[in-house]
Amino acid sequence: MSAPAPSADDMKLWLNAVAAKQDRAAFGRLFHYFAPRIASLMERSGLNAAEAEEISQETMVAVWRKAALYDPAQAGVSTWVFTIARNMRIDLARKASRASAGLAALGELPMRLEASVEDMALANERDARVRRAMATLSPEQATVLRLSFFAEKPHAEIARELSLPLGTVKSRTRLAMAKIRALLERDL
Amino acid sequence: MINHHPSDFNLARLAGGTLDAGPRLVVATHLSGCPQCRTRLGSFEAAGGAMLDEAAPAQLSLDAFRQTLTRLDDADPPAEPQPRVLHPDLPPPLNAYEIGPWRGFRRGFQWRRLRLPESPGANVIMLKVAAGQPVPHHGHSGTEYTQVLTGSYSDALGRFSAGDCVELDEDVDHQPVVDPDSECVCLTALEGKLRLSGWIGRLIQPLIGI
Repeated sequence: MSAPAPSADDMKLWLNAVAAKQDRAAFGRLFHYFAPRIASLMERSGLNAAEAEEISQETMVAVWRKAALYDPAQAGVSTWVFTIARNMRIDLARKASRASAGLAALGELPMRLEASVEDMALANERDARVRRAMATLSPEQATVLRLSFFAEKPHAEIARELSLPLGTVKSRTRLAMAKIRALLERDL
Repeated sequence: MINHHPSDFNLARLAGGTLDAGPRLVVATHLSGCPQCRTRLGSFEAAGGAMLDEAAPAQLSLDAFRQTLTRLDDADPPAEPQPRVLHPDLPPPLNAYEIGPWRGFRRGFQWRRLRLPESPGANVIMLKVAAGQPVPHHGHSGTEYTQVLTGSYSDALGRFSAGDCVELDEDVDHQPVVDPDSECVCLTALEGKLRLSGWIGRLIQPLIGI
């Protein structure tokens, strides 16, 4: 039943088709890949199934509307979709989604319209490095990384939840992050 | 020259969207002036993208796609108004917020409170302390996040100047003293409550309201 996972280039082509000619077939492919995964992450971060699906639909509507703003020199399609879903979840959390200056400022980190081939290659390379780095994490490191991403908890609470001393949680987080960063920053 | 940056832990929380509104604003203010940390944030967001790719697909309702297609046909929402710049002298993440008047009962130590519509309970203040003056000795029941906006101060942990971002855990008690050359303005957010020590601290705590 399940189709093979699309490549990063497939996703860029589909997003391009949405941006250039409102191609609904291409949008359908993006939806079938991303929407169930967005819902999955949202459930992991504590939302119920209905909320998770709502965020995934809203995110995909935003993908449709903002497709032309995607900049391949900045990030891979999955990373871009992840940041949209994240912002949707924050909006949901605060309901009154006005005056989001702090976050708007994040969303407006330098966007360049003309992406050079080198920039795109760098963004692709970074995504590949992140994946390789994540594969090298120990299960414990992967757990603290997931908790810091998906659970709204300070170190102290994560420590209580894992029944670990605070110092251990901090050092695992630091090690996990350092490992990812070392692989990312090598040769860059 | 920026010497102190947000921790990896908190950049990951920012990337994942789990950092509270107050600390998020402090870290976003740091990012607006620190290209190096923007690159680090990009790495953690890419980690989020990888987690999205690896997530086990959830079961959506049968007509989820049809519902979404219907929503595409809804009229485009009006463009969100650009936040009005209320404080052109402050960095971009801060300049659209309503900020209360400077308060303080002695000239050397003043504060103003930021109102975060997205999180009315957030404890975010700007502090302005005169050159050479101490900040009341204090501890915290949660992490304190401070971004130095202008000037510099020193405490047992080091010297912190404009552009630096400091995270202090709940177990840290400190007494910053502003360096003698100029006044120091900081943006500070607390995850928990501030604990001011000494009689002057106890006196002003209710006034600051955090």
